[in-house]
Amino acid sequence: MSQSIGAQCNDLKKEYDTCFNKWYSEKFLKGDLRPECEELFEKYRACVLNAVKQKQIDKLLVEARKDDPFTSTSGK
Amino acid sequence: MVKFFQHTFKYEYNWDSVTLAFWLRYPNPFTSHVESVDVIDRYVDPNTGVLRTTRLILKRGVLPKWGKGLMKTPEAYIIEESMVNPKTQTMITLTKNITHARVMQVEEWQTYRVDSNNHEFTQVKTEARIISNLGWGLTDRLEGFGIKKLADSTAKSRKGMSHVLEMIREKQLLRGRGFLTST
Repeated sequence: MSQSIGAQCNDLKKEYDTCFNKWYSEKFLKGDLRPECEELFEKYRACVLNAVKQKQIDKLLVEARKDDPFTSTSGK
Repeated sequence: MVKFFQHTFKYEYNWDSVTLAFWLRYPNPFTSHVESVDVIDRYVDPNTGVLRTTRLILKRGVLPKWGKGLMKTPEAYIIEESMVNPKTQTMITLTKNITHARVMQVEEWQTYRVDSNNHEFTQVKTEARIISNLGWGLTDRLEGFGIKKLADSTAKSRKGMSHVLEMIREKQLLRGRGFLTST
């Protein structure tokens, strides 16, 4: 599995990725859209956002995500 | 100045497997320069049933030697936006660099669909755009480099995906025969 940007987030990432991959292939693709793994995701995400802030790329990230790429260029 | 790149490829795997491989494609032996991959946002749109994901990817060593002076750090942060529609069996992804964008901005779109001739195969269309605003004759060189690099990295990412797909197939075969009971 790939590494996280924050070494301290690796365990949380692994737990979340494992949960997501299972949900994605066994539920989502089969038409069951109810989300799972949300608690794991919130913990992992909080850790990542903290690491992003420490590396001072949080502002760049916000700037890059200002526009929704799929609505501003619909049809692509 | 802007340059474009377009490419179409067919994976001999079904759409479900290819889109799963997209999530699992790092690490693989062909992309050692990828240092980290993180999910920043992810949700299923309740109105459309589409899975939306934003990932942040950190890559090392993205420029050739003559370009090193252009950047303070040789690392690049890439943002990857994606949408997966399981009903229409369409996955659309957009990746772009968020650091060094003044030197060169690369935007790459990919569309994954079921192959119309063989439903067990998957068609991937790649479209990329490279923009740079540097003067001093560097722009042409950089953009030329960008196109070459894109062609290289498209080939590499194809190999990486195929590698991951082969692993998925093996795992499914084993599970199908009862050798594996869980993921």
